[in-house]
Amino acid sequence: MAIVLQLLFTGLGIGAVYALVALGFVLIYRATNVVNFAQGQFAMLGGYCMVITTADLGLPYWLGILITLLVMALFGAIFNLGVYYPLRHRSFLPVVISTIGASILITNLVLAIYGPEPTTLPGMTDYPGISFGAVFLDAQYLVIIATTLALVILQYFFFEHTMIGKKMQAVSQDKEMASLLGINVTAMIMLTFTYSAVLGGIAGILVAPILFVSVGLGAQIALKAFAASIIGGFGDVPGAIVGGLLIGVAETLGAFYISVPYKDAFAFILLFAFLLIRPQGIFGEKIAQKA
Amino acid sequence: MPLLELASLTAGYGAVQALRGLDLTVEEGEIVTLLGANGAGKSTTLRCISGLLTPTAGEIRFSGKAISGMHAERVVRLGIAHVPEGRRVFPGLTVKENILLGASNRRVPRAILKHEAEEMFALFPDLLRFADTLGWMLSGGQQQMVALARGLMARPRLLLLDEPSLGLAPLIVQQVFRIIAKIREAGTTVLLVEQNARIALAIADRGYVLETGRLVVAGKPEALWNNDDVRAAYLGGKRLSEEKYTR
Repeated sequence: MAIVLQLLFTGLGIGAVYALVALGFVLIYRATNVVNFAQGQFAMLGGYCMVITTADLGLPYWLGILITLLVMALFGAIFNLGVYYPLRHRSFLPVVISTIGASILITNLVLAIYGPEPTTLPGMTDYPGISFGAVFLDAQYLVIIATTLALVILQYFFFEHTMIGKKMQAVSQDKEMASLLGINVTAMIMLTFTYSAVLGGIAGILVAPILFVSVGLGAQIALKAFAASIIGGFGDVPGAIVGGLLIGVAETLGAFYISVPYKDAFAFILLFAFLLIRPQGIFGEKIAQKA
Repeated sequence: MPLLELASLTAGYGAVQALRGLDLTVEEGEIVTLLGANGAGKSTTLRCISGLLTPTAGEIRFSGKAISGMHAERVVRLGIAHVPEGRRVFPGLTVKENILLGASNRRVPRAILKHEAEEMFALFPDLLRFADTLGWMLSGGQQQMVALARGLMARPRLLLLDEPSLGLAPLIVQQVFRIIAKIREAGTTVLLVEQNARIALAIADRGYVLETGRLVVAGKPEALWNNDDVRAAYLGGKRLSEEKYTR
């Protein structure tokens, strides 16, 4: 029993990171009807930004986080202007190709600057964690779960209880109608990209201490997060969160009970199962319109 | 000076010319209706005025100010609200949220905004029960009410209405048009696009009839009502002009 709880805890921790990146996919998809294939690279950049500020420059951890968040916000805005905005009146495909191109560019820029060797980042705290009998709750995993929970609550409050959140929802549902009402559509989309980049950056900050920080980090997380968004019913916010957690738990349990080398396969087995049995996603069609 | 003035307005979609030089004026306080069959250019006219479409030639002046080619977000701030065809209620937002967003063209403190929304529910009492219902769950008539209320929340001087009767039951159509008459009484000018000429002419002060992007005839409702071409084309009846064309 204890081992199941232990695995569940670890699975939820890594799943929370997938959920954050999946949220980024979903928010941008809802605002622009385009899948941003560079979303995983946002997490990778966040991880590297932490390594540069804390390990290389020796800044305090909190300052590193602050700088990383600011850099990611700025990066999201630039990404919007450079990758999405010039193509905003084009169809789905040119924009998707543009994000794939951006993803390749980011990966190779990091490779050129930082080299191929993976680096590590220490955890947020020296405190090892809490023991509950035979179950050990690692501090970094606790931080991940707590941060994700806080972000989800904050985001729910923002979208459901502020006028600007409502305007962002309106833009994601009908841009032309939103502009007829006087809502600044361009600004709302800019805000969406900025927020999604920050979300990706936070995922990177959180996951860097438990995975290696490498150029492959983005793709590794993005694939799982993408699967999570589909399991959740692409475009559905609660679905993406639950989908991310589900994949995290499934791959952790699968790695322990079935096979470690096939760890990465379990996410996709789950994806296949969902596509066959419940292609509309966890929560189905009904709430697909709601953020 | 008319509130709205279109001068030889020309517009189209790619190679298709939808408007070929339309002249039209709307005076403050009027209800003016734009009639015509599908593809006559009625919706295109409204889309040009509200800034969704940039005209290829011609002028649009709103209380003397040139606004053609201006972005939709700026046009609505000048006081032109466009309730487009198909109502376009935000499906994933509640009725109340849809109505509140109608004031996005103005800066209104939250408390006053709440009060204004309550006024809308007083004007559309049937909506009160659905205040927290999501847009997609409403019937067509309810959606039309929400779209009207949302348009009015912009506090427009000119309200552009595109086919408010489309797809509604006759009883609901009457209800919608009673509200349109009430809106004008409250001082808002209305430019109304309709395929239902009978009901549009019943409340309009003047009407324009378009055909394939051109003005065919304009005038008082009674004159249009008794015009054989208009009757033939939109009210059902023998079309005299067809004989002229074949001669």
